[in-house]
Amino acid sequence: MSILLIMIPLSILLVIAGGIAFFWAVNHDQFEDMDSPSLLPMEDAPDALQDQNPPE
Amino acid sequence: MPWPRSHRVRAFSYRLPPIAQPLRHKTKVMSSNNTVWQHPALQRHVVRELDNGHSEVMLLIDGMRCAGCVASLERALVASRGVQRVRINAASQRAHIIWDGTQNSLSALLDCIDRTGYGARPLDARALDDRRREEARDALKRLLVAGFGAMQAMMFATVLYVGAIDEVNATTRELFRWLGFMIATPVVMYSAKPFFSGAVQALRARRLGMDVPVALAIALVYFASLLAALHGEGEVYFDSVSMFVFFLLTGRYLEMRGRHRALDLTDALARLMPDVAQRRMPDGSLHSVPVLELQNGDILAVDSGTVIPADGVVQRGQARVDESMLTGESQPCLRQQGDALLAGSLLLDGPIDMHITRCGSDTTMAGMVSLVERAQAERPRLARVGEDIVARFVMLVLGLASLTALGWLLVAPERAFGAAVAVLVVSCPCAFALAVPAALTRALAVLARNGVLVAKPDAIEALARADHVVFDKTGTLTDGLSLQAVQLAADRTPQTLNQLNPAASEVLALAQALARESRHPVSRAIAAAAGQDAVPVSVEAIKNTPGQGLQAKVNGRLLRLGRASFASPTALPANIDDNALVLADEHQLLAHFHVSERLRPTAAAAVDTLLDQGLSLHIASGDQAHRVADIAARLAISDWSGGQLPADKLARLQQLRQSGACIIAVGDGINDAPVLAGADVSVAMGSGADLARASSDIVLASEDLGQLATARTIAAQSLRVVRQNQRWALAYNLLAIPLAAAGLVPPWLAALGMSASSLGVVLNALRIGRQHKPKTARVQAQVVTA
Repeated sequence: MSILLIMIPLSILLVIAGGIAFFWAVNHDQFEDMDSPSLLPMEDAPDALQDQNPPE
Repeated sequence: MPWPRSHRVRAFSYRLPPIAQPLRHKTKVMSSNNTVWQHPALQRHVVRELDNGHSEVMLLIDGMRCAGCVASLERALVASRGVQRVRINAASQRAHIIWDGTQNSLSALLDCIDRTGYGARPLDARALDDRRREEARDALKRLLVAGFGAMQAMMFATVLYVGAIDEVNATTRELFRWLGFMIATPVVMYSAKPFFSGAVQALRARRLGMDVPVALAIALVYFASLLAALHGEGEVYFDSVSMFVFFLLTGRYLEMRGRHRALDLTDALARLMPDVAQRRMPDGSLHSVPVLELQNGDILAVDSGTVIPADGVVQRGQARVDESMLTGESQPCLRQQGDALLAGSLLLDGPIDMHITRCGSDTTMAGMVSLVERAQAERPRLARVGEDIVARFVMLVLGLASLTALGWLLVAPERAFGAAVAVLVVSCPCAFALAVPAALTRALAVLARNGVLVAKPDAIEALARADHVVFDKTGTLTDGLSLQAVQLAADRTPQTLNQLNPAASEVLALAQALARESRHPVSRAIAAAAGQDAVPVSVEAIKNTPGQGLQAKVNGRLLRLGRASFASPTALPANIDDNALVLADEHQLLAHFHVSERLRPTAAAAVDTLLDQGLSLHIASGDQAHRVADIAARLAISDWSGGQLPADKLARLQQLRQSGACIIAVGDGINDAPVLAGADVSVAMGSGADLARASSDIVLASEDLGQLATARTIAAQSLRVVRQNQRWALAYNLLAIPLAAAGLVPPWLAALGMSASSLGVVLNALRIGRQHKPKTARVQAQVVTA
């Protein structure tokens, strides 16, 4: 059972790390817009815009 | 929240709360005069200066519908000079920009957005302090901590449960009890904090809400388990208490998301800064001023295609004005010198000068807004039935737990405490707490996929109960004008469009050549009339006489299209009046065009379906009675009334409601807003006025009236599922509580029962709308053409 002495602290550390990562993500707007980012890569007309929008 | 990503267009079709012009992808809403935003008075309202010298602004973006829109806007903005940070949210249609004010101006940024084809309107600077965003983040963090905690506590508890059978040695048991305590503590202290603070608030206000019993139950179970851990005997329930908090928070989180979505829509409209007006100075020059700063007696120059900013009278010039949003009148009205103008109506052709008689909160439109506010205040709030049930249930369970304790004290005092805690744990208010939010969240997602956006989740219940529908006419049942028939000057009878003789076709082709040069609704109806082979024509020397008509040389021949009194070179025949629409050349009248309102393509089918569902239909319109009668006859709706003022409509609605009716009101105009606000369920068309959308519960983004019937079916199904869920939760509890009171339920079974009953509720909710596949054909076409 001595393996527990390593595994349990390890699992708790992992939970804490996961929690910290998640808090970071929430604080950095990663959950603000859950809809459009997943679709962004599928947009295929990045050049069309440049004609309409000449650099200033 | 996981959105199905199986199909790209489908995902697009339900992203979307429309702030403006929802069906026109990339509309150009604002006139390009953005320089007015340099006005210091306006800047004060919309821009906030940050400590590091940067400026911050929140914009409402019109016409942003999809990920592609977000991407192109972001790209354009980031490429602009001085922009530090851009955050665009498609769901709430807002863009938050931080930029260096010394390098670039707000109006340049707005111009940049205009060039990409969207309209941007700055919001009030107070919109920057987003309390809702903080609330949402906070709730998400608490939910996650509870979720992680529940899983971990479960894992440690499993060892105890298994240990109960395998006789794991006492030290290991002790260790896992304390591990459970370690994990449950942040869940109870951090995640469950809203319940405790809510309970304290409720007690201060001397009432019992849902929070008091829930907080009491959490605290009791937590401290009972702590005691058991300290004594090293008895059962610990750290896993159950974590799960309990997690499920309750899930219910709350879902409910909060629905509420925020609704607020995003209405709040943005309320924070919208009014436009600017062109004030004519005494020396005749024009000066841009914010509408906020207008005063009675000011002279304004109003250009064609813009919205009239204040009530007043025409001082110079004449123009046709579209008042359909305000009065329901379907045809543009001619306004000449001395005639009254209403704020909020659209000037079709101009320019004119107007003299302000009433502005700000005195205008007819502002009166409409306050009528809306009154109607909303009077509206019966649907009680938060779900929360009430949970609160009462938890109170009941607390009662039962104390009874259990009392009972055991008489028989076997040493088991009293354990059995009472077991009752608390095994009883599952989570299933009750999740029943309503899970079903509503699912229903809202299904409806949104069908192009029906529900702003106020309460509407679902009323929608299912409704037995009357009151339609507005202009813009709701109809969607514009269309050319019905052409009557040649020589003929006695009109010819319908699909059977024109060659002479009439030729005349129509000439009229269309002229009509394409004008944006007037009547001209557009003629230009849009189908079927004419494109005869090559040259149009030159175009002259537009506001309020009268057009004149141009078509193939070298001078033609006039417009009011009979303007276009006709000769005296008018008896059968044509001044206002008729005619085409004439220099010598004679050529033809007379019959233009009337066009029904929405889906209106007839929708009316049939709603009648099949057993609803009574009414039309209440502000338009002239004969036009209303015509539309009512075409749709076979017998109950109609015309010439109605908003107050009349509202009075009629209240009369119906007093007789016990539950009413759905469907409208699109500003004049419908009070009615919408006063109905049990209000439905606004997606292209409707801002005010109408803001005062409605449901927005038909797809503009498909047929979806109203679908929405009703889905709403009824959702209510059925809620009731099933509640019955299921009740049955489970009736079974489990007596067993727990008798001391027959071990902790592992309690935990299993609690999670299984909650899961059952969620799975049941997912059944809603399975048979209603979204109709994406129209949306698909749009996305492809965009």
